[in-house]
Amino acid sequence: MLPAMAKIQFFAFILLYVASNCISVNVDNISSDVRIKNVDRSIDISSQLVKISSKITFENAGKVPVKQFLLAVEGAAKNNLAFIGARDSNNKDLRLVETTVKGHDNVKFYRVELKEPVNAAASVVITSDAVFSKALLPHPTAITQQEDQLVKYNSNLYFYTPYKVLTQKTTVVLNTKSVESFTKVKPFSQQDGNINYGPYSNIEPFTEKELSLHYKNNSPFLTVTRLERLIEVSHWGNIAIEEIIEIEHSGAKLKGPFSRYDYQQDHHSGPASVRSYKTLLPASASDVYYRDTNGNISTSNMKVKKDSVELDLRPRYPLFGGWRSHYTLGYNVPSYEYLYHSGNEYLLKMRAVDHVFDDMQIDELVTKIILPEGSTNIKINFPFAVTRLPDSLHYTYLDTKGRPVITFKKSNVVENHIQDFQLRYTFPRILMLQEPLLVVGFLYALFLCVIVYVRLDFSIHKPEHLKE
Amino acid sequence: MSSLTSVIPKLYQEYTTKTSKKLKIIDAYLLYVFLTAVIQFVYCCLVGTFPFNSFLSGFISTVSCFVLGVCLRLQVNPENKNEFQGLSAERGFADFIFAHLVLHIVVINFIG
Amino acid sequence: MPSAATENKANVPKKGIFNNTTGFSTLITVTVLSLAWLAGFASRLFAVIRFESIIHEFDPWFNYRSTAYMVQHGFYNFLNWFDERAWYPLGRIVGGTVYPGLMITSGTIHWILHTLNIPIHIRDICVFLAPVFSGLTAIATYLLTSELWSRGAGLFAACFIAIIPGYSSRSVAGSYDNEGIAIFALQFTYYLWLKSIKSGSIFWSICTALSYFYMVSAWGGYVFIINLIPLHVFVLLIMGRFSQRLFVSYSVFYIVGLLLSMQIPFVGFQPIRTSEHMAASGVFALLMAIGALKYLHSLNPKGQWKQLLILGGLVAAVTVFLAVVLLTYMGIIAPWSGRFYSLWDTGYAKIHIPIIASVSEHQPTTWSSFFFDLHVLVCTFPVGLWYCIKNVNDERVFVALYALSAVYFAGVMVRLMLTLTPVVCVLAGIAFSILLDLVLREDETPAPTQESDDKNLYDKAGKLKKRTPEPVGETGLGMNVRSGTLIAFMILLMLFSVHCTWATSNAYSSPSIVLASYGNDGSRKILDDFREAYGWLSQNTAEDARVMSWWDYGYQIAGMGNRTTLVDNNTWNNSHIALVGKAMASNETAAYNIMTMLDVDYVLVIFGGAIGYSGDDINKFIWMVRIAEGEHPKDIHEADYFTERGEYRIDSEASKTMLNSLMYKLSYYRYDSGGSPPGFDRTRGALPGLRGFKLTYLEEAYTTEHWLVRIYRVKKPDEFNRPRLPLAKRTIQTSNVMSKKLAVDIGHMTSKRRKGALKNKPILVKGKKVTKLD
Repeated sequence: MLPAMAKIQFFAFILLYVASNCISVNVDNISSDVRIKNVDRSIDISSQLVKISSKITFENAGKVPVKQFLLAVEGAAKNNLAFIGARDSNNKDLRLVETTVKGHDNVKFYRVELKEPVNAAASVVITSDAVFSKALLPHPTAITQQEDQLVKYNSNLYFYTPYKVLTQKTTVVLNTKSVESFTKVKPFSQQDGNINYGPYSNIEPFTEKELSLHYKNNSPFLTVTRLERLIEVSHWGNIAIEEIIEIEHSGAKLKGPFSRYDYQQDHHSGPASVRSYKTLLPASASDVYYRDTNGNISTSNMKVKKDSVELDLRPRYPLFGGWRSHYTLGYNVPSYEYLYHSGNEYLLKMRAVDHVFDDMQIDELVTKIILPEGSTNIKINFPFAVTRLPDSLHYTYLDTKGRPVITFKKSNVVENHIQDFQLRYTFPRILMLQEPLLVVGFLYALFLCVIVYVRLDFSIHKPEHLKE
Repeated sequence: MSSLTSVIPKLYQEYTTKTSKKLKIIDAYLLYVFLTAVIQFVYCCLVGTFPFNSFLSGFISTVSCFVLGVCLRLQVNPENKNEFQGLSAERGFADFIFAHLVLHIVVINFIG
Repeated sequence: MPSAATENKANVPKKGIFNNTTGFSTLITVTVLSLAWLAGFASRLFAVIRFESIIHEFDPWFNYRSTAYMVQHGFYNFLNWFDERAWYPLGRIVGGTVYPGLMITSGTIHWILHTLNIPIHIRDICVFLAPVFSGLTAIATYLLTSELWSRGAGLFAACFIAIIPGYSSRSVAGSYDNEGIAIFALQFTYYLWLKSIKSGSIFWSICTALSYFYMVSAWGGYVFIINLIPLHVFVLLIMGRFSQRLFVSYSVFYIVGLLLSMQIPFVGFQPIRTSEHMAASGVFALLMAIGALKYLHSLNPKGQWKQLLILGGLVAAVTVFLAVVLLTYMGIIAPWSGRFYSLWDTGYAKIHIPIIASVSEHQPTTWSSFFFDLHVLVCTFPVGLWYCIKNVNDERVFVALYALSAVYFAGVMVRLMLTLTPVVCVLAGIAFSILLDLVLREDETPAPTQESDDKNLYDKAGKLKKRTPEPVGETGLGMNVRSGTLIAFMILLMLFSVHCTWATSNAYSSPSIVLASYGNDGSRKILDDFREAYGWLSQNTAEDARVMSWWDYGYQIAGMGNRTTLVDNNTWNNSHIALVGKAMASNETAAYNIMTMLDVDYVLVIFGGAIGYSGDDINKFIWMVRIAEGEHPKDIHEADYFTERGEYRIDSEASKTMLNSLMYKLSYYRYDSGGSPPGFDRTRGALPGLRGFKLTYLEEAYTTEHWLVRIYRVKKPDEFNRPRLPLAKRTIQTSNVMSKKLAVDIGHMTSKRRKGALKNKPILVKGKKVTKLD
């Protein structure tokens, strides 16, 4: 009896929970009027990320104009989803809103809001981009130094959607011909490191069929486990940026010994290891430093290019599977490129996260913005959803009441998140004088003290002289 | 040896006549400190030195009080004016107090 | 000082503020001293400019680590810090086994700066502490010398000490060691001592004791003070220079200093328990006795007191001496420690304590290093000494004793050169001052215009200032002789400053954890293998992994790698070190037993064969064997590691024991890099005798880019099918002989080590790569 009660309670609880979730989040319905005429899907799994780009032709089969569509991500993949976006045929970004649909609790839905409604019987072409991190699993999970890294990718052979799809084609980009095994559902073809599936026609909504690939992937599997980005704004014309980066090789673990002899002997040794990677900094970056807790890391090169500064960073040691490294990278940029003001109102426009290496994946990003002392009315706009952490104060040279620090956090970040945030604040310009005045005042007090001391010194001696 | 025994009363007489009253007060203080040190030493011989640091701090503090007292006595003594030029009695006393401050802070720290 | 002041005034147009002569001479003094400070600071920055702001060598890493710990956890936690990352499985009570002065100093600076919202990283404070203190040392030396002779001589001495290589060798930026602040404390204590003996004031004596306390907290070399000052008092007594001032200053200093020195946990009760400190208490008792007798004498100045006084003094002295001997005999007072003995008998360490003898800094000093460290001053300081003895007074007796004892100690041990350097500067300063007094006597126009030139020639600033003191007197020398001498001495001083800069920059400014090599085209390449390896250790091994290495690298592994070590540079437990030595010297199976006993996870060896780095483990190996043999004479025999002809070699003629030793195997495992025949060892110029072998119990975990550091992982028993050792048998067979590190050692050992006798020993500059790796 009791277990049954508990069960009922449990269910009630779940229901309540779901209900509360539904209340707080948007709810949408799947419109039966919409059909998908054609999907052209490309799955790029040549790097450590899975980048799916789908060209979808929606068709309004109903009578009334439709202003929005739904994109769906299946339950198996939704936790790996790092980024999703949609563009219209003019390559303009469309607004995406996360939403839910009754009866599909396990599926993540996004509502695409079109700029212009689609009339009845008309169709519209939308490109949706999705990036999944950690979707490629090394198999075997541990390899020796000389072996290639093999990874497995499991996904859905069909485009996962709440609508009926008339025809669809999928291209899997592998960039390698050495494929151990892959799902063979006719029609398919394999050519030049690509595998093409389809066309398949008349697929019902929410159809899932396993697509499994097992292939060689020696591209760098590097995960930034934590990135702390510190932006310190100075009104004296400089913005200092420091990034504390913890990095890990998240591919197949190194099994057995590491042999320097083999590693030096030929350059193909350690194919899955990472010797170096490139970081792109803003073109105006100067005074770049690259160090860890033990001091400078002397193995890096800097190339100044037209639109960026390219850093060729070499960790102290090559990174094999499971090896970790951490470092600090810092540089200065002039503030006129990022800081705008009218009167006492300031606007800071900077990247919430910057490039670390190509096809990067960041598990946890923490960005801190340190504003000048005395800034008030701070308002910030984020380009994507973040968790804002409580503000704090930071004390540095010549501070009296501390500088406001804005902190926010975001997990699972990829290159597509390199976007600007906008931060508005008020800063009375007269406060710029505070620090020089502080120095002047201090020196003045110092000299005054010396003068007083010299006088006092004299007066102490006097009585002794008088006594004698 | 006989001369030595005869000398002692003479010494005492010299002391009582020659020494000023101020110095005698210091001498009394010195005697008191000296006796304290002796008592401490006897106690440690009889009972043992178990909390060694406490014994040491007690004993050394009496020794240093004694030494400081002697030094003060030397500096205050007008006969030694030539030895300690530029050191007035007041200065000597101020130094004495300063030394005691330092000493007792350390002793309190050490006594545990 | 008065002469300098008055003469200056005569040369300056009397108007306005310059009416005040003291003001003007103070201005000169302040200028010269700050320039000396600046010069000293700047000349110590070579390492920072060439490499980076980084902690050097070995011991500084420990100091830095404990400072960082103190800053993070607070002072009291630091005092109670039990470091389980060192001396596994024993651990080390850090708070009770360090001189905390250094950490407290930089911790205090850090705290002050942070309260003022100046966020300087503690590492930068540590790196720049020694150069900053060199300026304070210069000031202390100036004060000391002006007490002894004149302010002019003081300025000379300050300028000398600011740049002299003998001192900058221990105080370049990054060399964060006790000596850096201790020399300042030493000089300052001596200054205050002279001040107190001059004035007889209790105040100055207390200051001396406080400064002595700082010295005790900073460096084991405080024993030098606590023996030299009693010696001074004793010699003064013998010379019949007893005075009540002496009585006051010494007795107050001794008793308060004694109490203060016992506040340092590491020193503890040593000041009343060990022989090294007994001289001071003996002199104290003697002084008390003499003081009492003198007093009685003053009560009755007539009579037979004179004889009684001398007799009484002698009796007191003999009694004290006998008491000390008796107490030592009874075991209440510890006899002199081995390290102290080695100061008297240079052969002692070689026979009895190989671990001391293995450190190159503990070797007797060569003549060339006297000249290298002191340059021209080594020739001129006897002049100053002679003048001091000629015009003797209480203070000059002190400096003479200081000089004589320091010369002796510097001759015994290279590292004690450091105690000689300050006194040489003081005496040379006096000598130059006298000489210029003599030469410039009539030179009536020392133009103040030269003031501006001084800025770029700091080290000569002192000299130019010296033009100013011109004692009034008759001319003794002809014009030509005078100017000739002057020019000669100018050149001498110039050479001195050039030499100082050169020596500091070339010999003493290598961080030794970052090496630089120069290609044929003059391009510089940085070899960062040490940090590469330590970085790897810190990131890619388990948090509690235990790393076995020779003790030299213990502090670095703990500091940079943040991993547990078995032995380190503290070297307090000889048997533990011998056990590690034994593991390195045994064959793989025997070594594995030791390593499982000690729960070793990784073994780290330094191998310089690929780049020709001479300070590697194979070259130190013979000392490991010797130390191991001292504790395990049954298992390890030094002779087994030499060829039949008694040569130490690694090629095919090497002995079998050598070829099978763990150290050999770990160094040459799969080594095929290097010179034209693959696998050629550049350091020893030979082809390894054993090649292509396999390891059973270990596997290569990491090797750095230039093969300098090789890390091996000890396999778990199930990885090679071997029965696991029962837990009960996993005890460490350590005999309880712990060579306790004593104060006379003056700080810690560092591991500039003597190399073993090598065949075809290549001539290499330490830490320089001579050949280029392909």
